[in-house]
Amino acid sequence: MRIRAAVSAALASAGILLVGWQSGAHVADTGSTAAAASAAASSGTSSGASSGSGAGGGTAGAAAQAAGTYAGSVVRTRFGTVQVQITVKAGAITDVTALQLTDDDRKSVQISNRAAPLLRAAVIKAQSAQVQTISGATVTSDAYLSSLQAALDAANL
Amino acid sequence: MQRTSKPSPAASPAQSSLAQSIPALKSRTFQCMGTVISLALPAGAALDGEGVLEGATAAIERVFAGLDATFSLYRPDSEASRLARGEVTLRDASAAFRARFADATGWRLLTDGFFTPERPDGVLDLSGIIKGYAIDQAAVALESSSIEDWCLNAGGDVLVSGSPAPGTGSPWLAGIVDPQDRRSLLSGFSLGGTGRFTALATSGTAERGNHIWRAGADRARGGRAGLGPLDFRQVSVAAADILTADVLATAVVAGGRRMLDWATDSWDVEVLAVLGSGELLATPGFRA
Repeated sequence: MRIRAAVSAALASAGILLVGWQSGAHVADTGSTAAAASAAASSGTSSGASSGSGAGGGTAGAAAQAAGTYAGSVVRTRFGTVQVQITVKAGAITDVTALQLTDDDRKSVQISNRAAPLLRAAVIKAQSAQVQTISGATVTSDAYLSSLQAALDAANL
Repeated sequence: MQRTSKPSPAASPAQSSLAQSIPALKSRTFQCMGTVISLALPAGAALDGEGVLEGATAAIERVFAGLDATFSLYRPDSEASRLARGEVTLRDASAAFRARFADATGWRLLTDGFFTPERPDGVLDLSGIIKGYAIDQAAVALESSSIEDWCLNAGGDVLVSGSPAPGTGSPWLAGIVDPQDRRSLLSGFSLGGTGRFTALATSGTAERGNHIWRAGADRARGGRAGLGPLDFRQVSVAAADILTADVLATAVVAGGRRMLDWATDSWDVEVLAVLGSGELLATPGFRA
């Protein structure tokens, strides 16, 4: 669950990054020299971005310029801060790594809180003698008399 | 989540010798809104005789009774009943009524219609949020009485503050009824103490209140009757406030898996759901 969640979050961030990268490539097509800079959305280190402007095919030149590693922008989610880095070679993403996947206390967190199938033996157990109150579907006044909550209340009179 | 909890002294008289180390509780109950409301406070010096608990219970009962007088469809003279009969329109309704209607409408939007303030016959029925709102307002009354440690249970929906053992930071432990055997507990959940969840609400098909969600459930199942293996028999939601817990529990029973995923993606909640087949779906907070 944790891995799947992290991967999906990373892919989502990578998608955002890709949009930035493609817009950077588009800028390169129009002759700007800022392709690599705009591809590195925030603090990317663009190692492979040489100054060779695309004398050949425009798109091929843009792809070559985009080689390197790029860090995506830092995204705040309700689970904490997420930031990913992608590695691009020959115009293709070859790696995605999570730079930040932490909550406010800088601990690694689980992105997904979705409910998953669980064996009855694997849920938190509680004995009626241990608990202070009982949660259940609303009991009528009549049904209350035979409920576990009524036993607790009677014990605490 | 693990805690060494203490048997309630009266529930296990054989262990009464342990009672000294047990944070004993005192509780009072009253009937309102067709169910029973229980207030439990830690016994001891803070209670200072019976006056504190009796006074606090009376204050809460006033909150519940006042809301019931306005919103109950079981009372012919309530504002809700007059609206249902068409004697007044929503535009002429009291500010309090319109405020709760606005709350319910907001929740309907947030839950994609699975929580709805309308019965299938079109009658406006705010009972789905009134009990939660009453619990919320009762908490305000308790806080204004400077009572810090308490546990309020309104027909199976729970809100707590502080600890059953004042000053220790230990949480209240709530049991969750097993819908297949209502005399036993399916699970438990810690509330209050130093944790961030203070509210736990459970909705289900086994008890009263079915009309609140039935329309949504029928829609989700394409109008089929009965409980299918993938339908939710019971849903418990822990949250930081009782209205969120109560509304989402109702909405997930109505909306099924889609609403369950939407709830856990969109709110800071823990959910334990029992399917019609008896299988469980749980968020990580319910894992032992």
